[in-house]
Amino acid sequence: MIPVFAHIGDEHGRRRSVARRTADAVGGAVRELLQNEDLAMGPGLMQSLDPRVRLTTVLALAVTASLVRSVWVLAAVFVATMVVAAASRVDVGAFVRRVWASAGLFAVLLAAPAATSWFTPGRALVTLGPLTITAPGLAIAVRLVARVAAGAGVGLLVVWTTRWTDIMRALTSWHVPDVVVAIFAMTQQQIVTLMRTVEGTHLARESRMLSEGSTAETRGWVVERMAFTARKSLKTADDVYDAMLARGYSGAWPSIVRLRTRGRDWLWLCGCAAFSAAVIGADKLVAR
Amino acid sequence: MHIPDGYLGPQTYAVIDVAILPVWAAAASRVRRTLKSRQVPLMALGAAFSFVLMMFNVPVFGGTTAHAVGAVLIAVLLGPWAACLSVSTAIVIQALAFGDGGITAIGANCLNMAVVMPFVGFAIYRLVSGPAPSLRRKIAASGLGAYLGLVAASISAGIEFGLQPLLAHDAAGHALYAPYSLAVAVPSMAVTHLVVGLLEAAVTMGVVAALARSDPALVAMRPASRPLTWLWAGLGALILLTPVGLLASGSAWGEWAPAAVKGMVGYMPAGLQRMSGAWTAAMPDYAPAFIKDPVVGYVAAALTGAALIAAIVWLVGIALSRRDDASPVPTDDEEPS
Repeated sequence: MIPVFAHIGDEHGRRRSVARRTADAVGGAVRELLQNEDLAMGPGLMQSLDPRVRLTTVLALAVTASLVRSVWVLAAVFVATMVVAAASRVDVGAFVRRVWASAGLFAVLLAAPAATSWFTPGRALVTLGPLTITAPGLAIAVRLVARVAAGAGVGLLVVWTTRWTDIMRALTSWHVPDVVVAIFAMTQQQIVTLMRTVEGTHLARESRMLSEGSTAETRGWVVERMAFTARKSLKTADDVYDAMLARGYSGAWPSIVRLRTRGRDWLWLCGCAAFSAAVIGADKLVAR
Repeated sequence: MHIPDGYLGPQTYAVIDVAILPVWAAAASRVRRTLKSRQVPLMALGAAFSFVLMMFNVPVFGGTTAHAVGAVLIAVLLGPWAACLSVSTAIVIQALAFGDGGITAIGANCLNMAVVMPFVGFAIYRLVSGPAPSLRRKIAASGLGAYLGLVAASISAGIEFGLQPLLAHDAAGHALYAPYSLAVAVPSMAVTHLVVGLLEAAVTMGVVAALARSDPALVAMRPASRPLTWLWAGLGALILLTPVGLLASGSAWGEWAPAAVKGMVGYMPAGLQRMSGAWTAAMPDYAPAFIKDPVVGYVAAALTGAALIAAIVWLVGIALSRRDDASPVPTDDEEPS
């Protein structure tokens, strides 16, 4: 019997092999990282701001979202992140999809039981067999989902509009120790290198296998590849250090770009502070 | 296990975000002392490995896959302090570059996966492997360490979730953040990870075994620096903190008394009625009968439980040592054939 060609499974609606799924996931992550870099280098509201201001803004918005109690005000915060995303030339549809895919749907699943009378007794809204959805339970669940979506939207703003090198520059100017900045900067580069390796090894297996093999055999191969990746990571460290020394590494993480906070950065910061204050004030009014 | 923004209230994430800073400082200082000037690429590559490890899909059953965290594996390879920095770096990058895990929850995620998991796992690993372990014992110890490290991390996350309804609620008593009480959150997280932990253990054991075959120096035992002192100090602190469990109201999810089950479903299941009296615990409800104060009773129960587990681990260690002495398994110093 001719075995199933695991590597063409995704093209014809068949189940993809483990190797193909891993290679696709890793390749997708690398692609996303590069797309984020492209987006962050392009024109747009957030991109035009000093990276320190961007990080401060995002942190302030995340804290503000965590302080809000009203679902309506949380929804307003999420809409505000969408507006900022649109002003930063981010595809708003993709932004919303990503927020729901990364955090929103999981929050719905996690919050759903809290909406039932099993966890939150109260006035019954809907009864579905043994399940009764209560008014206070639904309010708790909706508030959690709204808060998580608002928080994820704020986080996605920094992910999609800030280059990793900009974050490093901001950390350096905030006097974060050079060794920490160097570790962060190198880690991001090494992640891409290792992901390419992992994608390559999985694609190589995919291309030379006629069928996927048993679960135990595949698991054994995956564990072997993990060991290979660990060995490669740890053995490469000495070579990387020697290369750093050869390029003049002296413990500092130099940057040729000097960050300058301009008038519009201060204006934006003031606007964000006013927005946060307005959000908290509105929340207090709504909660009364 | 990555906690997104929104599940933890400011009372929790602010305290943890601040509390994690001295841990990072201690880890950086410790790593700088032990790994000298070559620490930077080693830390970066350790962090990159930690990140990439979570991307490996491991087949489980029925065509499903899962992934490992790998914090204990990195602790076995680099030591717990280096693992703390590596996994923390990976978590920060996941949050800022990939949007995986919340920005305000970075401290909590690092506490669970970069502090609790590698330190608990590594302590178990050292305790079970002993001072001069054979390869087989080291592999078994790494698996047990990974398993218990992950379960401990999940309990830590469960406690963080379960504290939310106590710390932040509206006038009607409804939760503002994660909605489930300690009695639900801790067992849910722990039971789930008691199953998921099997994969973590299998992956850790497999990678340690593969590395020991190809490059034994990578899994060579690092000299212990007071690991047992830290372990006992941590255990003592946890025992003293056990009365925090008294804050939780009601029974743990799924651990209801027969009367409570009857109250919920309207009748007493016959099997439950028959079996519920089959065994009488020596210390029912974690309260020895002769101690009236519930706080003192909780601490006494924790002390007794910890002593029993330590005795069992000690006996298992002795049994494994005897087996190692009689077995011709090669040690790390021997070349693999």
